[in-house]
Amino acid sequence: MTEMFSTLFGQNDAQGPPGSSSLGFGPGKPAPPMPQNQVSMSGQMPPQLGDEGPALRKPGAMNEPFYLLRELPVGNELTGNTNLITHYNLEHAYNKFCGKKVKEKLSNFLPELPGMIDCPGTQDGSSLRSLIDKPPVCGNSFSPLTGALLTGFRLHTGPLPEQYRLMHIQPPKKKSKHKHKHHRPQDPLPQETPSDSDPKKKKKKRDDDPDRKKKKKDKKKKKNRHSPDHPGLAGSQPNSNSLR
Amino acid sequence: MAEKFDNLEEHLEKFIENIRQLGIIVSDFQPSSQAGLNQKLNFMISGLQDIEKCRQQLHEINVPLEVFEYIDQGRNPQLYTKECLERALARNEQVKGKIDTMTKFKSLLISELSKVFPEEMAKYKAIHGEDAPS
Repeated sequence: MTEMFSTLFGQNDAQGPPGSSSLGFGPGKPAPPMPQNQVSMSGQMPPQLGDEGPALRKPGAMNEPFYLLRELPVGNELTGNTNLITHYNLEHAYNKFCGKKVKEKLSNFLPELPGMIDCPGTQDGSSLRSLIDKPPVCGNSFSPLTGALLTGFRLHTGPLPEQYRLMHIQPPKKKSKHKHKHHRPQDPLPQETPSDSDPKKKKKKRDDDPDRKKKKKDKKKKKNRHSPDHPGLAGSQPNSNSLR
Repeated sequence: MAEKFDNLEEHLEKFIENIRQLGIIVSDFQPSSQAGLNQKLNFMISGLQDIEKCRQQLHEINVPLEVFEYIDQGRNPQLYTKECLERALARNEQVKGKIDTMTKFKSLLISELSKVFPEEMAKYKAIHGEDAPS
């Protein structure tokens, strides 16, 4: 080995760069002579500051033919080996949000909020981002308007122009209406108002129809066959089977 | 904790309702509505004062900025929570897969090394114990 080094580097550099020989693995030839009091490679390397890794092997075992041998990590550490969703008791949240379909639109989350809230906020300058980027210039406190200040709010009589009235119009929910028509064209029932805020009514009507129930069941079966939750595929549910 | 949110929610709902009524008054303004308008304007200010008071109770609440992006795009912010949970589970499974693979690799490596370097492996086991890979 040393001959090879001398042919490669032109000289047998006894001093060499510190720790260069310690990079080898396995016993090989005996290590080059070391300064006194240093028995092995691991003894040569002072512990690095801030090195929080496992400690190097015990001094008693230093004459063994292993270099850079470290203590094995402790087994009870919290790692990705455990199901972290179960560990932090988030199964309920997982089932709530991932078990069923979450409706896409903001108006489904805030059904009571008036106005067209599903449009991008950047369109009308009502985005929350703009509020962070350009915080409004305002004073420290809110004080009530006195008589003199209120004179500035005297309005003209009459209706507002059309474009400013949009705020109080709820967005039309055509989708469910259309769906309803499409599936049951012969249905003599009057068109139901497709409000998402009244799911109880809808459910009751649908459950009455046995044909619809059957169709739904078939659909569910088909869906399950293709879904990742199906036992044949890798489960995405955070149960004890998916992560042990 | 929930009380603080309920309090804020209540004030926000009142504020929004007041604004909605204000909008209705303004949309077809009549001279007789001026007193009502003035009252609503002052109610709006007191509503802002109430919301401002709630701010002190919610100092330690951190909201991820990504949630604002969802709201700005007119999307349900619960989708953010859903995606976070799904991502966390996927990463969890990936890491578990890596750990399992490395454990199997270690087991195989030790058994193969034991065949080729029985003495060295005996010494290795003496240091680390018979840590038969799990």
